[in-house]
Order: sequence, then structure tokens, then C-alpha cells
Amino acid sequence: MAEGQQTGSESNHALAGVKVLDFMWAMAGPGSTRILADYGATVVRIESTTRFDAVRMVGPFQNKQPGPNNSGLYNNMNTGKLPMTLNLSKPESREIIFDLVRWADVVTESFSPKAMREWGFDYESLTKIKPDIIMLSTCLMGQTGPHSHFAGFGNLAAAVSGFFDPTGWPDREPAGPFGAYTDYIAPWYNAAAVLAALEHKHQTGKGQHIDLAQAEASLHFLAPFLLDQTVNGRTQTRMGNRDMNFAPHGVYQSAGEDRWVAIGVETDDQWRALCETMNRPDLGSDERLATAKGRLANQDEIDKAIDAWSSQLGPHEAEEQLQAKNVPASAVETIHELYEDKQLQHREHFVDLDHPDFGKTTVEGTRFKFSRTPAQINPATPMLGRENQNVLENILGYNEEKITELVIAEVLE
Amino acid sequence: MLNPYRVLDLTTERGLLCGQILADLGADVIKIEPPGGSPARKLGPFYQDQEDAENSLYWWAYNRNKRGVTLDITRSEGQDILRRLAQGAKFLIESDNPGTLAKYGLSYDELAADNPGLIYVSITPFGQDGPKASYADSDLIILASSGPLVITGDEDRPPVRLSVPQGYLHASAAAAPAALIALYESHRSNRGQHIDISAQQAAAQATQSTILSAPLNDAETRRMAGGAKMGPLEIRLLWPAKDGNVSIAYLFGSAFAHFTKRLMDWIYEEGFCDKEVQQMDWVDMGGGLFGGDPKTLEDYERLKLIVEDFTKTKTKAELFQNALDRGLLVAPVTTIDEVVESKQLESRQYWTAVDHEEIGKAFAYPGPFAKFSEQPIAYKRRSPKIGEHNTEVYDELGLDAQALAELHGKGII
Repeated sequence: MAEGQQTGSESNHALAGVKVLDFMWAMAGPGSTRILADYGATVVRIESTTRFDAVRMVGPFQNKQPGPNNSGLYNNMNTGKLPMTLNLSKPESREIIFDLVRWADVVTESFSPKAMREWGFDYESLTKIKPDIIMLSTCLMGQTGPHSHFAGFGNLAAAVSGFFDPTGWPDREPAGPFGAYTDYIAPWYNAAAVLAALEHKHQTGKGQHIDLAQAEASLHFLAPFLLDQTVNGRTQTRMGNRDMNFAPHGVYQSAGEDRWVAIGVETDDQWRALCETMNRPDLGSDERLATAKGRLANQDEIDKAIDAWSSQLGPHEAEEQLQAKNVPASAVETIHELYEDKQLQHREHFVDLDHPDFGKTTVEGTRFKFSRTPAQINPATPMLGRENQNVLENILGYNEEKITELVIAEVLE
Repeated sequence: MLNPYRVLDLTTERGLLCGQILADLGADVIKIEPPGGSPARKLGPFYQDQEDAENSLYWWAYNRNKRGVTLDITRSEGQDILRRLAQGAKFLIESDNPGTLAKYGLSYDELAADNPGLIYVSITPFGQDGPKASYADSDLIILASSGPLVITGDEDRPPVRLSVPQGYLHASAAAAPAALIALYESHRSNRGQHIDISAQQAAAQATQSTILSAPLNDAETRRMAGGAKMGPLEIRLLWPAKDGNVSIAYLFGSAFAHFTKRLMDWIYEEGFCDKEVQQMDWVDMGGGLFGGDPKTLEDYERLKLIVEDFTKTKTKAELFQNALDRGLLVAPVTTIDEVVESKQLESRQYWTAVDHEEIGKAFAYPGPFAKFSEQPIAYKRRSPKIGEHNTEVYDELGLDAQALAELHGKGII
């Protein structure tokens, strides 16, 4: 890659000039720097060939072939960054890291708290070589406390911070949310925290250290239940698809194998329109069911009536009929169907990358649209160690001789 | 950190969290509600189960640190006042259906004409344009059309959601970094812009990138209680303990092998498996596990039963303590009351008292989403009552007591 091409340096990018040294791994961290990269930040992503990011070996995989450069999950979290490999046990690596710290505005890491201290890359140490550095440390439980060194993945943070228990059926053990749930929440907060710190630096010239516990940030997504506990002393738990405020509210049987339609009625008008669509004027005019309160008290009866109607129709057909009457309804789209979702297609949600082995692979695009400085997705797949040469030569200004020495000393591995 | 900036928050429950994140970061957020109060105030649970607009715990949860005014923006006097407020604001956040504010002369273009620096954030179910842009919506509709629903739940029952609505929380949390990216950019250009957030696209993050499996040509992910089916691989994340459940990331391959080895060492120590099982090659088995090798999948099923027989004999606390001591990927499935009693959260002084002087009590709220070394997040005020800051805010705008009385008389505020 030629000079000036190190991604994100074009001035029409919102975050042009923002320089990030990214030690984060898995999803909660990298998902946040992906957002920064989409809007033009230069993000150098450090891994090593022996201990590369775990999610490089987590699917889905291009053409079902597991391999470090084939993971849709890894590529989705890291597109647009500059992937670099360093063997951190080599002394030369430390010098490279310190040079990158001097270059960077922001250092991000998601190891357990003692790892950065052991390497000498903790905030105190880094401020000695770059006093105004912004550092984000994000791990599951936070930098302090008896569980601070508990390392792992978002499924563990989700379990320990209360997301499993309220997901599922009241008469059964919890189903739990899909996968590493808090890993899907933390990126929003991690990115907001770094950007707030950049704003603070813009105002004052000062950097700072941010301690963001994935579990703590994510708890805001359970806040109504948590307040019911701390304020009313009531412990909420899973209630299937029912809602404490609205009814009917559920996922109903559709024609076809394992097909479903979601219906969530929030107003009395929507209820009457639902009854009309189902051709059930008897329900629509039933005084008992005219208000949410009445419907909440008679959910079993209502759900039965909806199932009887919906099971005769395909999920998309039911969605169409109900949406035509302004009733909140959607086919429960299968994972494969989502690629054909007309709205996601319209929004250009899926973006193809160039892949040297497969010709192309696919990631998700940015999740929001900016009117004046749109995201620009770098089409290069973030192959392991792809940008070693670019980073050393164009970002750090190392000469060819020095780079060759590093290669021979097996530092870039 | 955002102290110099004013935010006008016009959102309903679709977007409240965005303004709260900006308020926590120090912005002066003014929550603008219709006279009579926001529809979000109707959402339970309620303080002491007393259904009242001032008692909604949902409202309390997502409006902390904001000031509140009432304003009828459907009428021209109200629109004039909003335009004046927007002249002094850096951000405006709204979540009405596409085109609604334009109908009132309050579109981005119209407000930006008077205040080119304004960052105008729209949070909607499906984005501002496209075939589903005007769909009737509710939380289940977002989750059904973005993927998380179909992959969550017991396979013999309908797909299921988390019992706290999540769809709009993803959208409104995503809106916070988006707004701050535009802020960063505006320092260079002196201009704001319009940001268009789609809840469908934001919530798709909760598929853990399995939404890519169709374009990648990989197998479809399907729901399974306490785990998920990825093609032939049945990943199990939930395991029984003596007194509840735990989550374990029980997987193979280089990223998981050392954790799995330590767990199997413990299981062997306690006599739940033989030497042959203890010494299996956990690194090597990763390729087979994720590549769908029948022999490895068979081993995985057999091993799952061994792990289950073992975890059943231990309490959640024993399993978690050993996870901390031995370095295992095991976490307790914590109920909401247990979350509130967490020793880790206590030691980090996470729970933060918010004074409700009108009740004469302070309640424990989920604490700051991150610890910033420069300007720690402070909880300065509880969520506003209806029109609580009308006098204060409109006085700042130069409306005198007489003008306010007149607006009040007309029902504008």
C-alpha cells in the first residue's frame, strides 16, 4: 500500500486524523473500533501469529472453511483496520509498541487487568512516553474488585450480569440470549467513551484512562428490571414473549416447518385492526378486550385465536396483511432469509470485501447513515498481519533495513 | 466532557437511552415531551405499582440527568419555540416516524438553515427510507426482522426474546457514538449533519455476525435452549449447577484449549473422567469442532455429558470461585436479585444513589457505564417530572412569566 493510503487519512472522513492503537480482541472491543474505522480513524490492530484473536476461528466461515482469514465474525468486527502481527515476547516488539504509542491518540485494550501491567503497557507507563494518551481498558468485570481478573467471553458476562435468567419460558430453565450477548452491547459504550475522551482532549489537551467493565455498561439494558428490584424489591424473570405493558404480544405459529410471525400490539386501534384482519369481529367488539389491561388478563384466549389464524398463512403473508392495517407484525426471518430482507438490501446493509482466496467475502456495513460524511468501508479483508510493512514503513517511518532485521528476528510474528 | 453542549431530546421510548448517555457524559440534555407527558411514562413497572406518569420505572431508568420541558410541537407556537431552542443546541435527537417532524417544519434542513452546526439524530425502526420505513413497529418486530429472535429460545417452542425490550436500546445506544463522531467532525467543518439510525440494523449486531452466513455460504444458525445450533454443531452455553445454572464457554481450538484443559483437569481430579479424556488434544479438536467433523462432534456430545454430570454436583458459587482461582470460562447464571447483591459491583461502588426528594427516598440505580479518570460520570438529577423545568428553560430562552402563562393557557406547554 502506498503512502497516504493507510486508510482513513482522506480529509472528508469524519474521524480523519484519529489514530488508534488497538490491542482489543473478540467482539466487545473490536466492534467499537470498527465503528471508528468506518468513519476514517486509522486503527492499527495488534495480534500475533501464535496467539491471534480467538474469533478468527469462530464462524460463520466463508464457504464453511475454518481459517484465520475466513471468519465472517472476525472480518465483521475488524474491517477497515490495519492488522499487524507482533511477537510481544521479543524485546524489539516493545520498541515498536512504544513508537506506536507515540503516534497514537488512543490506545485500547481488553485483556484482564494484570496483562498490560506485566508488559509494561499500563496507563501509568504509557503516559511517561505520551502524556496526553487516551487509554480505554475494557474487560468483563472492570479493572478493580474481587472478580477483576475473571477473563472470558460475552456469554460469561451475560450470565453473571443477569441476561440469561430473564430470557426464556417461565415454566422452564432459562434459554439464555444467543451467544455472547453483552459483546453486542459493549461496542456502543466503548465507542462513545473513546469519542467523549477525544472531545475532552479537544477542549483541554488532556488524555485520560477509561475503565469500562463490559458487565457494568451492559446492565443499562436491564435497567427497568434492576430498578424494580432496588425500588420495589420485586425480582423479575423470564416471561416468554409476553410484555408487562402490552397484549397481545407474542410469536405465533405460521404455515411451514418451524416458521413464525411476531406480533406486538401496543394500542387499542392496533388491536381492533388485528381482529379485523383475522376476521374476528367478535373479539374486536368484546368489551373485556378493549383495553390493554383487559387483554393482558386474557392472553391465553387471545393467543389461541391468533395462532388459529396465523397457522393458516405463511409468515410473510401474515406480515403483509397485518402491516397493511398498521398492526406491528413481522415474519420471524431465518438467518439465511435476512440476506434477502428487502429493507436491509435497500439500506445496503451487506458489503462485499476482496478476499485473496475466495475472490470476495461479506461483512455488514455501518449501522447508521451520515448525510454529509458517510462511512467508507475499506474493501480489503483484514488478513492476519496484512499491514505489517505498511505500518512500519508509512506510519513509523522505519527504513527497509530495519524492517528486514525485524523480519529476520521473527518479531513480526 | 460534553458540558459545553445542549441536547434537545424529542424521543419516545425508541430513543431515550441516547440522550441519557450524552447527559451522563455531561451534556445539558433537555427532554421535550408533549403536554401531558411522554408515552414512555406509561411503561411499567411502576413505583409501588402505582400507575402514574411520574412513577414509571422505565421513565426513571432512561431520563436521569436530563431536564424536562413540555412543548406541543404539533402547533405553530410550539414549533416556533422549538426552532428557537434548536438555535442554541448542538444536538437534536428524535425518534418519530420518518417525515413526521418535516410535517411540522422541523426537518433537519429547516433547522440547519438557522443553525448549520446542528447534529440531528433520527432513531427509527427501519431507517428513514426503504420499503419498511413506514412499518408499524414494536420491540418484537425489530427483533424478528434483524435476526436475534430466530436464534433464541427452546427448539420445541416459538423463538423468544429477552423479557426487557432490547431492540430500541441497541438503536439508541448506537446513536450515541454516531452523534459523537459527528461532533468530532464538526470541529473541523463547523457544520453538523443528519444521522439516520435504523433499529433493525443496530439490533442485527446481536446475531454475532451469523447474519452473514447466507452470503458466506455457511450453515444456518438455529435456536436451542441454553445454546445454539450452528450447522451440525450444537454449542451449549448453559449447564446445571446444584442450585441453578452456570454458563460455560466449553469449546476447543487454540483460543479455548487452555481453559478447557484446566476445566478437564479439575473434572479428572474429582473423578468424573478418565485419564484418556483428560489428555485429549483440545487445540487440535478446534478444527474438527468448527469444521463439522463427525468424530469430533460425537466426542463433543460425549464430553458435554461428562461436564454436566460434574457441574450438577457443585453450587454456582463453588463453580465461580474455581473459575476465578483456576482460570476457567465458567460464570453463574445470576438472577436479577443476585445481580443487585454482587460483591464485585459492590466493591466497585457501582450502584449509585439517586435522590427522589419528592418521595423522600434515594434509590440505587445502575451506575456509570464507565469510570473516566478526568471527569467521572455523576448522577446529578433524577428523571424530570412533566414540565419540571419549563420555567427555568424557557426563561433562559427569554420568555417572561406572562408569555409562559399565555403558552400554558393555550396548552402549548
